[in-house]
Amino acid sequence: MTNSLNDMRHAQSMIFIGSNAAEAHPVSMQHILHAKEVNNAPIIVVDPRYTKLAAKATEFVRIRPGTDCIFIMGLVNEILQKGWEDKEFIRTRVAGFPEMAEVATKYTPEEVEKVTGIPAAQTREVAEILAKNRPTSLTWCMGGTQHSIGSSITRAFCILQLVLGNMGKSGGGTNIFRGHDNVQGATDMCVLSHTLPAYYGLSDGAWKHWCRVWDVDYDYIKGRFKEKKWMNAKGFTLSRWYEGVLGEEKIEQYTPIKAMIQWGCGSNSNSQYNRVVKAYNKLELFVIVDPFPTMAAATCTTDNVYILPCSSQYETSGSVTSTSRQIQWRYKIVEPINGCRDDYTIMKDLVERLGFADEFYKNIKEVPEDITREINKGSLTIGYNGQTPERIKKHMDNWHTFDIETLEAKGGPCNGDYYGMPWPCWTEEHPGTPILYDVSKPVAKGGLPFRNRFGLEHKYSMSGRTEDMLAAKGVYNPGSEVKGGYPEFKDVVPGTNWKTDLSQKTIKEAISRGMAPFGNARARCVVWTFPDQIPIHREPLHTPRPDLIPEYPTYEDQPNQYRVFTKFKSEQNPDLAKDFPFVLTTGRMVEHMGAGAETRSNKYLCELQPDMYAEINPVVGNNMGVRDGEMIWIESPEGGKVKVKALFTERVDEKTIFMPFHFGGVLMGKSLAGEYPEGHAPYVVGEPANVCTNYGYDIVTQIQATKDGLCKISRA
Amino acid sequence: MGRMKFLCDVERCIDCSGCVVACKEGNHIPVGVNRRRVITIGSGQPGEKSISVSCMHCSDAPCIAVCPVDCIYQREDGIVLHNKDTCIGCGYCFMACPFGAPQFPTGQVFGARGAMDKCTFCAGGPAETFSAKEMKLYGQNRIAEGKVPLCAGMCATKSLLAGDSDEVADVYRERNFKRGSGANAWGWSKAYTKK
Amino acid sequence: MAQRKIRSSSSVGTKSSRVTLNPRVARRSFLKLSAATAALTGAVMTTRMTAKAATPAAVKKAYPDSTNVRSICTHCAVGCGINAEVQNGVWVRQDVAQDHPVSRGGYCCKGASAIDMVTSEKRLKSPMKRVNGKWQKISWDTAMSEIAAKMTAIRDKDGPDALHLNGSAKVSTEMAYLQRKFAAFWGSNNVDHQARI
Repeated sequence: MTNSLNDMRHAQSMIFIGSNAAEAHPVSMQHILHAKEVNNAPIIVVDPRYTKLAAKATEFVRIRPGTDCIFIMGLVNEILQKGWEDKEFIRTRVAGFPEMAEVATKYTPEEVEKVTGIPAAQTREVAEILAKNRPTSLTWCMGGTQHSIGSSITRAFCILQLVLGNMGKSGGGTNIFRGHDNVQGATDMCVLSHTLPAYYGLSDGAWKHWCRVWDVDYDYIKGRFKEKKWMNAKGFTLSRWYEGVLGEEKIEQYTPIKAMIQWGCGSNSNSQYNRVVKAYNKLELFVIVDPFPTMAAATCTTDNVYILPCSSQYETSGSVTSTSRQIQWRYKIVEPINGCRDDYTIMKDLVERLGFADEFYKNIKEVPEDITREINKGSLTIGYNGQTPERIKKHMDNWHTFDIETLEAKGGPCNGDYYGMPWPCWTEEHPGTPILYDVSKPVAKGGLPFRNRFGLEHKYSMSGRTEDMLAAKGVYNPGSEVKGGYPEFKDVVPGTNWKTDLSQKTIKEAISRGMAPFGNARARCVVWTFPDQIPIHREPLHTPRPDLIPEYPTYEDQPNQYRVFTKFKSEQNPDLAKDFPFVLTTGRMVEHMGAGAETRSNKYLCELQPDMYAEINPVVGNNMGVRDGEMIWIESPEGGKVKVKALFTERVDEKTIFMPFHFGGVLMGKSLAGEYPEGHAPYVVGEPANVCTNYGYDIVTQIQATKDGLCKISRA
Repeated sequence: MGRMKFLCDVERCIDCSGCVVACKEGNHIPVGVNRRRVITIGSGQPGEKSISVSCMHCSDAPCIAVCPVDCIYQREDGIVLHNKDTCIGCGYCFMACPFGAPQFPTGQVFGARGAMDKCTFCAGGPAETFSAKEMKLYGQNRIAEGKVPLCAGMCATKSLLAGDSDEVADVYRERNFKRGSGANAWGWSKAYTKK
Repeated sequence: MAQRKIRSSSSVGTKSSRVTLNPRVARRSFLKLSAATAALTGAVMTTRMTAKAATPAAVKKAYPDSTNVRSICTHCAVGCGINAEVQNGVWVRQDVAQDHPVSRGGYCCKGASAIDMVTSEKRLKSPMKRVNGKWQKISWDTAMSEIAAKMTAIRDKDGPDALHLNGSAKVSTEMAYLQRKFAAFWGSNNVDHQARI
């Protein structure tokens, strides 16, 4: 999130697209409903389903899955046509605007209606609500990202907020609600195959930076790799790692994957899950580290599988970053229960046995505090350097001193700090940045301009125009030495920049001059490194509207996307919709979490939601002669099928089937309850929805497209 | 001074069942017994509303009137409690209750109902305060600790209010004033004939 | 009609006499939460209630000698505060974290049973492996030495990229960092976690 949950209290309107906050982030509703009640802020919910969040909305917009981009670009177009854009904001802080506006003109309300099914009048109405109730807080979740054009969709969201001038303002912002409790922290630490911690990437410079932080020779780390080129090559992803095992798709790696460690990772979250199961059983070594046996334990039946019972996070300590970028400290509540070990102990044991503990733990004596300190030392890109373990604990101990409206401590030991020191927190005196890109505050007090990350000027390929990438004159944080745009800081310590100067002199110098270490630039509407420089609509790979493929075709196939051949064009088969007439989309329910290993081991939650089900419209059910509560088969084009209860509801329309994705322990009609370690099968088992989610991955990130596949249904 | 009341603000209830599980987890309620539950009306349709329901601790509680062994009683602050040692599990209270609050153990042979169980406003019961017996039979006695009932304290959206009726009314009045709608507190007319 | 019957029959009830007949009631009516705090949490108690109550000395702690430990819910990214009451090393009760600046004591059903993460009977208690397809308990030492030996053998034979590590968004930031660092020291970029999806 650029802002915070609490800051949403100040929104004058809110738009949620691909987010069901009432079920997925229930406590956030406290702040959302506050804005609704006190500011009279309209809530617009854009979703294929009438969700529990939609029940609290003032405007519900039913959208066809996978068409978010065109709807948002349609809103942008309507806003521009009516002259409602924030002209001054665009002039001074936005880059690539005319090029983007040119593309947006194609997306008239009528064109939006043709593709999304949203009436043209409603698009116009929503545009007007947003224009007349500023600032708008925009929220999206996986409903916006899990598409083959997910990266374009998210950029369209940002463009909408730029056009409305809602960035860097209290009550505005792009407020993505993250899923798991520490997905923000784990992302910041980049447990990701394409970058080192704090988004440094995989370049030689990045490796050298982290080797300095780790206090090991670059050559030592290089020697650990097969060859140097594999250091710079993105690895397999969580979405498609199993292709590296199965050998059914062409992979770009010198060896297949033979061993797998799944550490705190629910297994049935992968699309085409039945193929993942096949991969589990082909591994030479499979290690599951989890407090509860995941479905992986039940599906892998070879003798190559181990389960290590780690403790829960209540039995260890460490920091956790909320969706509002707040870093909070979990104190250890109790010692690990009988027989379990905490994550740090297991890691230490493993690293010692593998023989690189001396290098690995060079700076780490006190666990976990020394790890936090090492993170502070190296994670300069995101300003993770001011949140020392001592400060995080101080915030935790004094959480009652922070103001609900602003999250600023009023007096007390944390006086002036923002709760959790949301990054960037540039120094140990910095209060944290509660709202990103807010030029109304001094940088030292949590203000920030847009980052200068993409050069000083750019010539656009589509228009031939060259644009200065720095912010215009007159845009600066109070107290800034330069009264306008400026580039990022470098060579304060010769040969380094603000990201690589471990002495942090560069950062401190910038702050002392009232400036942001990363410069003061413009936010881009054009991303020249993406296949679609400006967001455009492309039909899902498996589309219920084959008539739209000629006009909105998908991308070319990608021979080496994260080491594996990834199909786009060759997978977009216009005939598929004849046999698979329904759109399959998935989502959360409030009672369960993720792959459900934890929550399905909780008797009270199981009592509330004991059954896997699929939501189908009563018209669909009655037409096929099945009754509410009866079992049906749902089948994907890939041959995955699940047997689930039909839940008749008008939440979904007549073209859409919805399944929650938390269930596991049953595979293609067969219960695996007996395959769990005895006495540790979850209280309830059910078919994983992801057996049916379709092939399809985002062009940039390879996120799986679970929200817009196709399926067919039949009586069981 | 007012008496103890519950109020569920339907404009805020999001059907997250936080109250239900807070109650069960905190009071160690067996599966199948629900002192509180959330009901959704018009599910999936425009106007969908959810409401959290439990014993309302009525002013003129019908359960007290019908109990043949007089095991149900009302405290001075309005909280309605009962004595499980005396209860014969006849179920009259269940029939009398307008809110379906009384619960009975499930999973036993027909007729073996066991003592009734219901919301205690987290005020324990007529056993020694904080004793193991009180915890086992009735759950926590948070009122004796000066603490709020778990369901309301843990309500995700502060939809469920509990406590002194004057204060509850003030909070709700303020909310209604801010959102400019009429005061139609669900269940109050039925539960509280007198202030 | 039924309702009216009940009402009329209740007129013979002796509500007030029942109250006075119960000697424990007055003591239990003691309330100390301030109205301000209460209004904040949505649950309302008033100091005025104390006027009729017994002396504070009559109130003892439900869990004597317990301590309160602060933590954060492990389910979603809202980051709700957890207020854990611990007695003799046992987590005895999850209390309302009403002054947490984001959640103000609120939980959904998952967070309201955070304590279950520790108390669930379904928690594993020992490392396990499959032997001839059946799960068997093994010691930590056996498990770790077998795993490390197999990893080393695969690394020697096939190279470091033959391992894939699926890390986690459910661990602490420090542990997530170690997972990424582990991959680097192991010699592979085959590491990823749930944020990808």
